[in-house]
Amino acid sequence: MARISFSLCFSSARFVVHSLPQRNTSMKASDIMTKEVVTISGSATVADAVKLLKDKGLRALIVEPRYSGDPYGMISETDIVYKVAAHGHDPKTMHVYQIMTKPCIVLNPDLGVEYVARLFANTRIRRAPVIQGSLLGMVSASDILRKSDFVEKPKQLFIEDRIEVARAEARAVCKEKGDTSPDCAAAWDVLEELQMVASDQRKKQEDSGKSPFEVYCEDNPNAQECRIHDD
Amino acid sequence: MMQAKEIMTKDVVTVSGSATVAEAVKLLKDKGLRALIVEPRYEGDPYGMVTETDIVYKVAAHGHDPKKMHVYEIMTKPCIVVNPELGAEYVARLFANTRIRRAPVIQNGLLGVISISDILRKSDFVEKPKSDFDRYCEENPGAREARMYDD
Repeated sequence: MARISFSLCFSSARFVVHSLPQRNTSMKASDIMTKEVVTISGSATVADAVKLLKDKGLRALIVEPRYSGDPYGMISETDIVYKVAAHGHDPKTMHVYQIMTKPCIVLNPDLGVEYVARLFANTRIRRAPVIQGSLLGMVSASDILRKSDFVEKPKQLFIEDRIEVARAEARAVCKEKGDTSPDCAAAWDVLEELQMVASDQRKKQEDSGKSPFEVYCEDNPNAQECRIHDD
Repeated sequence: MMQAKEIMTKDVVTVSGSATVAEAVKLLKDKGLRALIVEPRYEGDPYGMVTETDIVYKVAAHGHDPKKMHVYEIMTKPCIVVNPELGAEYVARLFANTRIRRAPVIQNGLLGVISISDILRKSDFVEKPKSDFDRYCEENPGAREARMYDD
């Protein structure tokens, strides 16, 4: 992921060879996932699944694809209690495939933790397998709570989008009410506050070992000196 | 049938509704718990609960600062509570019907918390699933063959 600056031929502008700029500050799914994952066959009985969950101290099992192209599945404590125990069904005569969730939502290991939380909230799920090529691990709400840095470094999502909206709104208000109106000043205050949050988040980025130039380019990917030229 | 009080977790920690979410997270981490109970503020005030899921869905998912948000903003109050004598299978049914995963067990005070995990790990639903006859009798208590005769 190294940025290579060419100052050799072009002294006035800096050309960078790289793919799209990436933000690497936040923790990723792979940083907080639980790597101990146990799989079970869809044809196993629910009693087998309960035994595995108890023995391994887990809250969910992954159902591996049956063939290439078949999706991943999952069976959780909740599935068993809601669909078997709640009805007095006999776990020894019911099978995993009857109560599993398949296909289940899967995570890319590079997804930022705050986006994992957002995805969980939007889809009302509490855990998902982390897949890339194969099964790497599992992220649960507990992992987010216990291992991520959302308390120490809350990261507002879509901050750049919000800045853009706030700027447009400020311009509109000032145009309508006048540049010296209190409404206009308040609108710019809102923008300034958002920019401070963004700069604070960026500062943490610098702390993570990025040069100010890299940070600048990430925030201004269209700036002349940040243009990216693939070979 | 096993009762809620036989499988509940007695190690319960309470938090005030006015505490910050950051404080709740610390408590959950330190005690290794998944939920905290919010005690009633006065007699007649209901119980509340704040769970890992509340914190992840309502705070982490939006990038809100947990140090600036409070438990009362994200807790569930009133929360569904369970009577200590309720059978484990009915707890499971109640949880399934209301889509919850845990509830405090209350009778003249807080006795414990019962969760999906407690039902799965401590109840006997695998060894002793209810028979069809049991279920038939329960659903048709007036049927002749379901009548119960005490000695």
